[in-house]
Amino acid sequence: MEPKKPLPIGRIILIMIALVLLIAVLFPFIWLFLASFKFDNEIIQYPPSLFPNRFTFLQYLKVWDSIPLLRFCLNTVIFAGSATLLSVLFDSMAGYAFARINFKGKNILFALVMITMMVPFQVIMIPLFIEVFKLGLLNNYLGLILPRATSAFGIFMMRSFFVSLPKELEEAARIDGLNEYRIYGSIMLPLCKPALLTLIVFHFMNNWNDLLYPLMLTSSTEMRTLSAGLAMFVGQRVIEYGPTLAAAVISILPLLMVYLISQKYFIQGIATTGMKN
Amino acid sequence: MMHKVMAFFNKPEGAAYIFLLPSLLVFAVFLILPLIVSLIMGAFSLDIFLNKITFAGISNFQKVLTDERFWNALKNTVYFTVVEMPLHVLVALLVALYVQKNTFFRKFVRSVCFVPVVCSLTAMGIVWSMLLDPSLGMYPYLLRMAGLPGVGFLKDPSLAMPSIIMMTVWKNFGFSMVILVAGLQGIPDTYYEAAKIDGANSWRQFCNITVPLLIPTLEFCMITNTIGNLQVFDQVYVMTQGGPLFRTETLVQYIYNRGFIIAPYDLGYASAIAEMLFVMIAIITLAMYRFFIKKETADV
Repeated sequence: MEPKKPLPIGRIILIMIALVLLIAVLFPFIWLFLASFKFDNEIIQYPPSLFPNRFTFLQYLKVWDSIPLLRFCLNTVIFAGSATLLSVLFDSMAGYAFARINFKGKNILFALVMITMMVPFQVIMIPLFIEVFKLGLLNNYLGLILPRATSAFGIFMMRSFFVSLPKELEEAARIDGLNEYRIYGSIMLPLCKPALLTLIVFHFMNNWNDLLYPLMLTSSTEMRTLSAGLAMFVGQRVIEYGPTLAAAVISILPLLMVYLISQKYFIQGIATTGMKN
Repeated sequence: MMHKVMAFFNKPEGAAYIFLLPSLLVFAVFLILPLIVSLIMGAFSLDIFLNKITFAGISNFQKVLTDERFWNALKNTVYFTVVEMPLHVLVALLVALYVQKNTFFRKFVRSVCFVPVVCSLTAMGIVWSMLLDPSLGMYPYLLRMAGLPGVGFLKDPSLAMPSIIMMTVWKNFGFSMVILVAGLQGIPDTYYEAAKIDGANSWRQFCNITVPLLIPTLEFCMITNTIGNLQVFDQVYVMTQGGPLFRTETLVQYIYNRGFIIAPYDLGYASAIAEMLFVMIAIITLAMYRFFIKKETADV
């Protein structure tokens, strides 16, 4: 045990900076949560105050009355959940192939995947819409999920994690007579659990938060996701600040909860990937 | 015959194609095909209802090059990318260096910094535009309380883009931070121990161990961030819609405006701009890749 030293000035400054950082990061959230419990006139008063004089659930009631929130939530869970699971599976398979196996056309295919990452969604937006429509998949879950069933980013990321695993692993497994699918499924994949969890959270987050994509591929109100439905609602009454704030809170709350529960896995998990020695 | 096929797919090389099949299929159907269609569309003139389709050849592309609003949007996009990316990576790196140790407080800071990443840009854009509102917003009010002159933020043509950059760094730096923390924690402790035995102080350790070993992670952050930045749309759309005076109109915002907002909703022209953006992103990304790979091989 080292004797306890008095706090040096440098450490105090560091902690002060960290506190300022915490406030800077959290302030917009604190403001949002508090403002969503204000009456309209208090939201637009000057000078602005952080705490409401009188708490009210009025803004939430207004949102609840105007849009089918439960339906939106259900749609979002189905869409984001299925797309995430499919994508993580396919990404890890592709990432594994690129990282651990030598095959013909590998470089060209990997370059191709990298290029797809650079395609702005706006470039393919219109043709994709037309295509999904022609396939009869517009306005249903399949049409929302399938285009999101893999991602270049996920492949890129999984490849980086698979690359970092030691070569001896699969050499030993091959000597033991395991084929490539078993090596992937029962040796490599379990080692990449932290990376997989990270990718799950990442995909789930992106699909949950995405606006333009579900907005485009759904047209009926009962197929809208949370963000698309809320955006529609906000778009209809741009002026009303109160319900907009309540809607913003509702749209971020579920993900915040998921994050609070799973952040341990996420933030620490990503760090311990691979075999560290 | 069947047996031979089975044997091929049991070999590593054959298995690789099976592993790649689902992803490549999805890419082919839902990405490459629309991309090709979009390339063809750039050579046509058509509106949002797919009416009035006429062949335009390369005239759309020629029109883009003489379009002042395109050059303005390009300038804004480059400005956003060139300022946001280094700022973003710097903030992420500094915070990552601080929070990499697993003490309770630092882990807490790490978790908090990731909270904005989790939330949608749409919702956060709404919050920030209210917070920055010159007459009602909390931030201009706090500045005034501190005795500083009133700042217009999003309403001020020269400050609108910096405001959006500020908001974007706030929103996204946590993502790179987490990746950098992973990179930092992935550096084996034995390296530092060996350096300590050799008498290297912490600054020397930082320069000779941390930085070189963190470079691949930094590259990953820089490349993905640059690609994302060149496609910036959501926060601009929610916060300024390209204004004031087109000072925040980015390329994607302009594509969107051309295709969906400004009559005659010329999808062909919008596609032409989108393709130029795509080519630009591809060139910049490849250049960054080449640059980094050269450096990597030079280091060895």
